[in-house]
Amino acid sequence: MRISRRAATATAIAITSALVMTACGGSGGSSGSNSDASGKVEGTVKFQTWNLKTNFKDYFEGVIGDFEKKYPDVKIVWIDQPAEGYADKLSADAAANTLPDVVNVSPDLATPLAKAGLALNLDQAAAKYKDEYLDGAWKSHEMPGKEGTYAFPWYLNTGPMFYNKKLFKDAGLDPEKPPTSYDQLFKDALTMADKSKGKTAMLANAPAVEDFGRYGVKLMNDDMSKFTFNEPKGVELVEKYKELYDAKALDSGALTSVAESAGRKFQQQSIAMNPGGAGDLKKYKTEAPSLYKNIGITPAVNNTGKDNMYVQGLMVNSQSKVKPAAVEFAHWVTDAKNQMAFAHKVAIFPSTKGSLDDPYFSQDGGTDEGRVRVAAAKALKTAVNYTPAVFSEQMKTALKNEVAKAMQGKKSAKEALDDAAAECDKLLQQAG
Amino acid sequence: MKSRIKARFQADGGRRPPVWQLVLRYLLLLAVFAVLVGPFLWQLSTSLKGPAEDIYSYPPKLLPSDPTLDNYAKVADLIPVWDFALNSLKVAVANVLTNCVGAALAGYALARLKFKGRGIAMVAFVTAMLVPVESIIIAQFMTMRDLQLNNTLTGVVLPGCIGALNVLLMRNAFANIPYEIEEAAYCDGANAWQRFTRIALPAVKGTIAVVAIFSFMGAWDDFLWPLIVLSDQSKFTLTIGLDYLHGTFANNQRLVAAGTVIAVAPLIVLFACLQRYFFRGVGEGAVKG
Amino acid sequence: MTDISTRNGEPVASTGPATGSPATSRKARGAGRRTGVRTHLPSTPWLFLLPGFLVTGGFVLYPFLSTVGSSFTDQRTLIAGKWVGGANYQELVHDDMFWTALRNSLLYMVGVVPLLVILPLLLAMLVQNYLPGIGFFRSAFYTPVVASVVVVGLIWVWLLDDRGLVNAVLGVIGVGPVSFLSDQWLLLISAMLVTVWKGLGYYMIVYMAALGNVPRELHEACAVDGAGPVRRFFTVTVPAVRSTMVLVGALASVNAFKVFSEVYLMAGPNGGPGGEDTTLVMLIKQVGTGLTGRVGYASALSVVVFVITLGLMLLVLRADRKEDA
Repeated sequence: MRISRRAATATAIAITSALVMTACGGSGGSSGSNSDASGKVEGTVKFQTWNLKTNFKDYFEGVIGDFEKKYPDVKIVWIDQPAEGYADKLSADAAANTLPDVVNVSPDLATPLAKAGLALNLDQAAAKYKDEYLDGAWKSHEMPGKEGTYAFPWYLNTGPMFYNKKLFKDAGLDPEKPPTSYDQLFKDALTMADKSKGKTAMLANAPAVEDFGRYGVKLMNDDMSKFTFNEPKGVELVEKYKELYDAKALDSGALTSVAESAGRKFQQQSIAMNPGGAGDLKKYKTEAPSLYKNIGITPAVNNTGKDNMYVQGLMVNSQSKVKPAAVEFAHWVTDAKNQMAFAHKVAIFPSTKGSLDDPYFSQDGGTDEGRVRVAAAKALKTAVNYTPAVFSEQMKTALKNEVAKAMQGKKSAKEALDDAAAECDKLLQQAG
Repeated sequence: MKSRIKARFQADGGRRPPVWQLVLRYLLLLAVFAVLVGPFLWQLSTSLKGPAEDIYSYPPKLLPSDPTLDNYAKVADLIPVWDFALNSLKVAVANVLTNCVGAALAGYALARLKFKGRGIAMVAFVTAMLVPVESIIIAQFMTMRDLQLNNTLTGVVLPGCIGALNVLLMRNAFANIPYEIEEAAYCDGANAWQRFTRIALPAVKGTIAVVAIFSFMGAWDDFLWPLIVLSDQSKFTLTIGLDYLHGTFANNQRLVAAGTVIAVAPLIVLFACLQRYFFRGVGEGAVKG
Repeated sequence: MTDISTRNGEPVASTGPATGSPATSRKARGAGRRTGVRTHLPSTPWLFLLPGFLVTGGFVLYPFLSTVGSSFTDQRTLIAGKWVGGANYQELVHDDMFWTALRNSLLYMVGVVPLLVILPLLLAMLVQNYLPGIGFFRSAFYTPVVASVVVVGLIWVWLLDDRGLVNAVLGVIGVGPVSFLSDQWLLLISAMLVTVWKGLGYYMIVYMAALGNVPRELHEACAVDGAGPVRRFFTVTVPAVRSTMVLVGALASVNAFKVFSEVYLMAGPNGGPGGEDTTLVMLIKQVGTGLTGRVGYASALSVVVFVITLGLMLLVLRADRKEDA
């Protein structure tokens, strides 16, 4: 008996401490007081990137070295996290209050951190730098329902569509005229499936949130408090895709596919079109030379006139003990000069004003990479990040599952999207 | 050569089996080999393919047309693979030592020492084995931070350094030793520690080898926990390090394949070295010895 | 622990040196077990157990208590929770996804465990006796175990693809293509086969260690009596490794019930089309990890998984003890 009583006591202590522990972890968004980042630029700044060291070690060491030269009282400690498990790593660090001072984030990662009061409000702390960045890019780290901007915009990316000219030709489609509208895309996809007797699909992915955006579906209401992708336009998109799926114009694995599996299908030449970035071109060259010979590049179709873009940012830890130096360094990494230098290393695009007007982004130099670069830079000037910043992993899962049910015919498109929107609303509300 | 083989047969089972049986066994072995190992040969083959070769061609090509070791050199070039491997080795060896010692001690107590609360002790280990790791990883990290062991290799080893499963495996092994031997030793005046080290331990070599290989493997393959504990790249283990090959902007399957081979090879070697111990169970160790 | 138990009335001394002859040893063994001669100081067992207790208690059991605690809160990864009583457990009962996941985890167990109890034993017997080159085969068979699940997943996805090797072979005999990777049930079955494939070597080792204990004389005696290999398997081998089979069965059940990686890699992070292949542990991860995770709800799921596996384990151990007696 003695033991069970002790166990009970231990449980009680554990529960209490768990509550206390978590109570300390998230201070619930009262970051107003600690957004002051004025003071002397000094101290040791921990800077965390996401999987960039392997390929860009020299570049970052140069950027850091120059900064340390300019501010001799600052030492930068650079840590780089591998591809997998980044959100888990951030969660653990955030919960244990061991986040680095400057952290590489994307809007969906920045939002919860900002809500928990762990990200510095840069509208206050770095207001003087705001004008250096593209408006759209700066705003991409704004947070619905909470004043302020919580990360410096860093590099941008947008993907063209790659297509396989040989498969187009085999299906009797003009390899020089890839689809430029949704109507044509759907029509060509059906032709492709029909001509290949279901062996070759056009696309490998069921529609995800950015596809809804590109199709012109209104994703959320104006004050970003409710999801609206179940509007008639959204239903129409899902119905179209279902038609493709039934005709095998959408790969059979579309309902479970992830970016890598779609890429592999494209490399195996079992699908004819796949989104990608300029970096993929190099990959095709090395991994699938026979595909590379037949590759075509075209902008992703959209109904809105605006391409989708992906944004990376640098967040400053609001609990940092070296805020002035951290803000200064985060700005340094994302300033026009250093972003431009980065863009010359790899196919990314600077988020600073005027950078995209550089000749580097308007002259293709006659190479394929150059052409992708120029096209992407042009698209980026008007591109938007369709994925709402509040759209969490859990919401992505909910949407994907419901879309899959609609495609399989287990639910009507309308029913499925209604359910998905309801689930996402619930998750949004719980997020507070 | 021939006589040596004959000697091994004799040591193992007495006489040499008839030829048809040998042939049948080899055929079975080869069939299992194809099923279990075949897929890896493909990985090995991918890692040897040069840049001019399509790795996603259809139908798939099993053999590299122009085999090259370049991919291995490139892996070592891109990431400090030897440093990562050394960290992994440290973690894995520490894990093996702590698990073998800790699990043997606890397993012996559970199997061979009578005491009040043995049932509860047993339940505690079974319970610990069943706890879903996913749910406690952040709490474990907080503990490590409080102990100031975050970002250390010690922090990586500690939570798994005496696995409950290993304790139960050892308990099972000790429980299977015939009681007579130990009783005899007891009557000769041996105390618990002497009986443990001189009689019980030698009798469970096979299971210790099992625990050793499971612990080594567990530490060597673990990804999420070391990722969360460690921050400095200089302390990263091999599994984390190899994840860098999944580049943000480029993902070279050949390098990933080469990395895989690098990660698996030491485990195969370790197993090859230990496998003969699996056959020295209770019988030889205790009854005859 | 200071008293000497004499429950069955046998004098203590009889368990001692009188166990020399084989005829009495059986009886004496049973007696030795029950009489509980004080062969050590009362503190000795606890000293033996101390390291194990410190580690499992401090790093596993204690943190799990806080999981149990947070299962009664609405805690999120970065947001403190407040007490909600049994709300998470109530929600769980009405969550379709939970029932789907529970069904899949149970199915997984039922599908995988019998194979993992029997096949590795046969495999261990195949590699048990010496043959030239047997060391090579033993090590080779262990390869799937040591390879990371990610790699294994990649390989099998490639093999089972609509245009993969398996379908190529099936095509030759005029079947297919079978869409292993898009049908809800085929996906689950494929993942099970991968689990079996990857687990064979693992449990083979456990059996190898156990087979070493089967006295060779027993086999030979039976062979002389004219028992064929099949009969010898059932009359000699199986009884000798029975406790190991129970152990393997228990481990395989728990592992199968907690399956994550194989399904994740084959069926995608969502768990198959529409999430129909989600298992319980996948659901825990989906719900609870990341910066927006619902830690409270995920904790409730973890507690449920824990309780079910504990029940399974106790059931197996109890069945084992009954047979033993």
